[in-house]
Amino acid sequence: MIFLLAGNPNVGKSTLFNFMTQSHVHVGNYSGVTVEKRVHHIRYFEGANLVDLPGTYNVSPSSEDEGVVTYSLLNESYNGIINIIDSTHLKRNLHLTVQLLELGVPSLLVFNLKDALKNNGYIIDTDKISEILNVDSVRISARERNKDDQMNIVNKLKNIGAIKALELDYHEVIKAAMKEIHELLRYDQLQVKKKWLALQLLEGNDGIYKHIDLIKEKEIREIVKKTEAVIIENKIAFSLKGAIFNTRREFISNIVDECLIKVEDKEHSKYFNQRIDRVLTHPMIGIPFFLVVMFSVYQLSFGTFLGVGNLLTTYFEMFYEGIVINYISQFIEFIGFSGFMYGLIVDGVLAGIGGVLVFLPQILVLFFLLAILEGTGYMARVAIVMDKFLSKFGFNGKSIVPIITGFGCSVPAIMATRTIPDKKERIITILTIPFVSCSARLPIYSIIVSSVFEKHVALIIMGIYILGIIVTLLSAKLFSLSFFKGAGSKFLLELPPYRIPQLRTISYQALEKAKRFVKKAGTFILVGSIILWILSNVSLSSINVTPDTSLLSSIAGFIAPIFIPIGFGTWEATSALISGVLAKEVVVSSLEILYMGDVGSGFTMLSGLSFVVFSSLYVPCISTIATIKSETNSIKWTLFAVVYPFVVAYIVASIVYLIGGFFI
Amino acid sequence: MNITDLNKFDKAVIVAFNGIGKEFRSRLMDMGIYENAHVVLLNKLSFGSLYLIEVDDIEICMRKADAIKIEVQK
Repeated sequence: MIFLLAGNPNVGKSTLFNFMTQSHVHVGNYSGVTVEKRVHHIRYFEGANLVDLPGTYNVSPSSEDEGVVTYSLLNESYNGIINIIDSTHLKRNLHLTVQLLELGVPSLLVFNLKDALKNNGYIIDTDKISEILNVDSVRISARERNKDDQMNIVNKLKNIGAIKALELDYHEVIKAAMKEIHELLRYDQLQVKKKWLALQLLEGNDGIYKHIDLIKEKEIREIVKKTEAVIIENKIAFSLKGAIFNTRREFISNIVDECLIKVEDKEHSKYFNQRIDRVLTHPMIGIPFFLVVMFSVYQLSFGTFLGVGNLLTTYFEMFYEGIVINYISQFIEFIGFSGFMYGLIVDGVLAGIGGVLVFLPQILVLFFLLAILEGTGYMARVAIVMDKFLSKFGFNGKSIVPIITGFGCSVPAIMATRTIPDKKERIITILTIPFVSCSARLPIYSIIVSSVFEKHVALIIMGIYILGIIVTLLSAKLFSLSFFKGAGSKFLLELPPYRIPQLRTISYQALEKAKRFVKKAGTFILVGSIILWILSNVSLSSINVTPDTSLLSSIAGFIAPIFIPIGFGTWEATSALISGVLAKEVVVSSLEILYMGDVGSGFTMLSGLSFVVFSSLYVPCISTIATIKSETNSIKWTLFAVVYPFVVAYIVASIVYLIGGFFI
Repeated sequence: MNITDLNKFDKAVIVAFNGIGKEFRSRLMDMGIYENAHVVLLNKLSFGSLYLIEVDDIEICMRKADAIKIEVQK
């Protein structure tokens, strides 16, 4: 049996999902979109699975995430729907409930946050709601993970039965239009009620046209248009959707009046929220506070003082180099590999993957801390304090989460842009995020800067980071004035109440991201290391040559002259940059190999600085490029994301090289 | 008058939306901002560039450019 879990955003849906289920059955993407689809076994219910749908206010989609709900209802096979409802915001939550019940599919309503509601001094008469809506319901508090609640839900699911579709008394004009569309749908093979589909089409759910080929699509669109005109002309409402919405709102309002009962006068917890918010979103305090928070997060992840992540990475490195590489290399020798094969496996594959894997602990700590900030609801406040500043550059306050994540790794940062509903703004953010200096680029800066400069090393590295942010902002500004005119005008954000995040949910999120990171090490970097090692150890005529006579040196030597004007036209630097496209970490390991450990010998102060600037801005790594492709779903923008940074890097590096020439 | 004319903690009723596109209207509706809804202006943020309002117990933040387009009556 399969059940769908649906509900508004921020109502504890993930908490309920994790609490109700065990071992995952399948995690993948919905066809055609990049939204992740999670299917897990329901605990204590043999043979039953739960599908986690993205949080949505409405069946009609307003973003890619939400489009999945319509898709699932139309195309997936399922035996029932679990609708989770935030008891403290009944009025809005019930809009989705009404739409789901109109579908007439076996359903169970789960009223969550009963404890929070009680703290506000209210209770809900769920029996009464069940009676009015003609559907079974339970009251729970998902955070408490109470076994009785769980068994209660499972028992109700086992006895879930057919329900009669909810029918509201919509305006006659709408009812007439529904009938007309119903007639036209006769020609289509559908798994959902045609009456429901007719209403959804009238409401403006354009996702339906995308997911099914309606035979009479043209005629249906005509009816929708005509009905909209009649509604506006006769002043029934301001829009067709508004007319449908109004009927539902009235219906819901009656339910809430009847079923939400005030039991005692309490100071609403929201006043507590508002008091904190007055400080955290204060124009003078908000931004400094945010900077302190971010500084602490980076200090804990990457810093040397109190740096948990950094410390773990050191241990992990010792373990990897001391034990993993040591034993595997002995084993390889034992089974009789030597020379070329030995070099390929130990110096190529193991060293290459290791160079990236050692960052895993730091990244895990970073993601864990960022998930805590998200889970508490603080990030919504950051979006507010940063909106004014970011809006000047064609960003949106909501872009702050991807930008921050970008300091860790561009891949999850690009995925985090899904929360930006405006398509143009989202692409602007995706295309500019790679300029934010990710953690993989730090080793390049620290090794080269410290080997060519004697003083001001930390200051110069900080300057490179700031340069990255400036390029990000200016590029966004450029895009919003050119390709994406008109973007960046809307910002609508719901402020969720502060909550203490749950360890389980946060660890899950952090681990999921870490898994992707490991996967990257196991695919791109594995392949890349093999290719790099082979290229630097063979020539056209023989194998086992030294790097400077290798195929790599001939290829890179051919390209190198284009870097002469900006100071580093050597084949070594060029090979490092080429291999860096596999993963930025590889730039450093290549330089170390090619300069036999003395990177400083290859650069002057000026060419070193120019190289560092270039490498901080040039072409994103392959994983990032692949993510850009899958998130924008456009070859054009993916190509742009490769070419544009190269041009920008070249220009900025030549400016640095020119101006620097006067000082150094 | 519109939302930006309200003082802090003023209560008002939304009467009309002027010059707001269909898509954004629809998003506002999903968040509970509709004609006849009761709003409270909770705060002006970022030196008056953002407006924090409360509708049906939900706090929503929007830019001044959009708040101006929401007509209200005290």
